[in-house]
Amino acid sequence: MSNKVAIIASNGGLFDAYKVFNIATAAAASEKEVTIFFTFEGLNLIHKQGMHALPMPAGKEHFAEGFAKANVPTIPQLVEMAQELGVKFIGCQMTMDVMGLTTDDFVDGIEVGGAVTFLEFAKDAAPSLAF
Amino acid sequence: MSIKADFQLDAKGLACPMPIVKTKKAMAELVDGQVLEVAATDKGSKADIAAWAETVGHQYIGTTEEDAVLKHYIRKCADDTVVEKTFEQTIDLGEIVGRDGLILDVREEAEFAFGHIEGAKSIPMGELPTRMAELDKAQEIYVICRTGKRSDLAAQKLAANGFTKVFNILPGMTAWTDELKKSI
Repeated sequence: MSNKVAIIASNGGLFDAYKVFNIATAAAASEKEVTIFFTFEGLNLIHKQGMHALPMPAGKEHFAEGFAKANVPTIPQLVEMAQELGVKFIGCQMTMDVMGLTTDDFVDGIEVGGAVTFLEFAKDAAPSLAF
Repeated sequence: MSIKADFQLDAKGLACPMPIVKTKKAMAELVDGQVLEVAATDKGSKADIAAWAETVGHQYIGTTEEDAVLKHYIRKCADDTVVEKTFEQTIDLGEIVGRDGLILDVREEAEFAFGHIEGAKSIPMGELPTRMAELDKAQEIYVICRTGKRSDLAAQKLAANGFTKVFNILPGMTAWTDELKKSI
């Protein structure tokens, strides 16, 4: 059985963030080696400012109340927890170049790499997930 | 009723995946064989905790529910290296039904509470040295645990203290398919 979980985060909304970080922290808590590759809008999820104000999908804003009521942790909290549990973050270099971003724009401790970096990790990971 | 646990974790009010993350962290504080109680209100935690324990190799004992609070019981297990069972007097689990002696269950109190053989007496392994006086040397004693490992040690302990009619039941509760008594 593979002990690796590989996740691609390519969307930048609040719902996407929860999908990515809930699975990642749960997997890490289950002693899996977890790597998330952030690409395109997915980079918002670990952007120092961006992650504090991720958008809800249009028309779903009323869920905000539900999030508060269910006592769901915030995205910055989940990011911190994921890192504490050893989840590895890889930022997509190509997207960062396109968007004019550097590692300073993101939470501390991220690595930067290209598609091959992720593929190398993901080649024997099960499951591999894309959000 | 309350079930004895070595550690308590309060995860009430927390949503997924927090109960699991907190459980993982709390588990690091336990030594092998100890029992953790996790109180949670997240209904998904029941399936999650059981699956988590299975994945990481701990023993999920069971869950109680009272006033919308779930209490999960997990026993910490080491990477199960096969330990040789050395106590020579053994008895097959299939042969104990209908015998006269006492079935002594040396698992933790929580494990006992979630299912034991009718009529069995519970003395957790750790309490055995101080509770031996409760046992009768004239009576045959069949010692049982989950797999036969703890009961092997318990049987040795009893033998070292002058009990001669002691038998280790093999394999253990994992192979018990008959009716289970619960005390929860």
